[in-house]
Amino acid sequence: MGRSTKVSGGSVPKQATRRKQTLASYVYGIVPADARIPSDERGLGDPAGKVTVVRHGEVAALVSDVDVDQPLGRPGDYVAHERLLDAVASAAPVLPFRFGSVVAGADAVVNELLQPHHDDFLAALNELAGQAEFVVKGRYEEQAVMREILAENPEAAGLLEAIRGTSEDATRNERIRLGELIAGALEAKRDMDTRLVCDGLAGHYTQAVIREPSHENDAVNVALLVRTSQQEALERTLSAFGEQWSGRVNLRLLGPLAPYDFVTAQAEEV
Amino acid sequence: MGRPSATGLADVIDTILDRGLVIDAYVRVSLVGIEILTIDTRVVVASVDTYLRFAEAANRLDMAQSQKDVTDVIQETKGQPSVDRAKNVVQGVLEAADEKLEEFADQVAQKREEEPTRAERKDK
Repeated sequence: MGRSTKVSGGSVPKQATRRKQTLASYVYGIVPADARIPSDERGLGDPAGKVTVVRHGEVAALVSDVDVDQPLGRPGDYVAHERLLDAVASAAPVLPFRFGSVVAGADAVVNELLQPHHDDFLAALNELAGQAEFVVKGRYEEQAVMREILAENPEAAGLLEAIRGTSEDATRNERIRLGELIAGALEAKRDMDTRLVCDGLAGHYTQAVIREPSHENDAVNVALLVRTSQQEALERTLSAFGEQWSGRVNLRLLGPLAPYDFVTAQAEEV
Repeated sequence: MGRPSATGLADVIDTILDRGLVIDAYVRVSLVGIEILTIDTRVVVASVDTYLRFAEAANRLDMAQSQKDVTDVIQETKGQPSVDRAKNVVQGVLEAADEKLEEFADQVAQKREEEPTRAERKDK
């Protein structure tokens, strides 16, 4: 397996060669060398390889074998990637890698990944110790938020009157204008409600990243880096928001997760 | 994948697809230090279709009901809604989210067992 590797996140290296199965190491993330990993965990790919820990110094990589000729990206692959990282994150700091990170093999994991980046990895793991990611997601109840918008916006209310009982063809322009007003109002509400949540939860998280909405009725989509000791307080405060927004926004809290939103790669000055 | 995983999978994809460290020999690792929040508004791209759908959704609102509810809604967002019921709802949602994840993970684990036979995809 002397293939030299420089694989960037994205996909399995294409290798237009033999029919023979070529195995490479899929990398899930980096953990402290002494982290305890759930045993008998299976990774992604088909067939799914066993998850192993490749150690170097004080850090280690979570890897499993994948067949480089098999495309990754089935739903089960995504889920296996996140499930492993989240399972680890609840017990130890972990630097999650982007989906689809593959290197040539166990030797390359040490020589090209762990050894050159040992100190950076260790420093990042130390920073993350005792913290995990939580994601707050809120979705507007469409009817409730529509009523709210119509009550607050006389132009929209007037347009609604104008299209009542008409066909879509007859009032197409009014409809488009009305929809545009609603979309704009939704965006403004989303910004405001996102701020309210971030401000309201202040003190319970160390960093926050506001994610792009994943749905047009999204009210909130924000990732928080939270100390384990703050988890209960965070849940309590969020519950209060839920009470206040009952019937208006459905709030969900995901976590603890691996800190996907709080690790990043910086290009090194050359 | 079937219906039960729909929500879970969407969350997973939203989370792992373009986040996380990228391996590259020339890339150094560091943590983002975002304290100041920025809101990215590029978002869900609005189109005429979206507008027409919003308009239709507004059109479908029952006016008689909405007259009454508008004030309720406003009161609820500003004032104190009936607390007990709401608390249960939220608590329920939080717990449900937890359960969903676990349940989902189990299902996936199961699925993985079955998948090799079922998922022999003819990619070539």
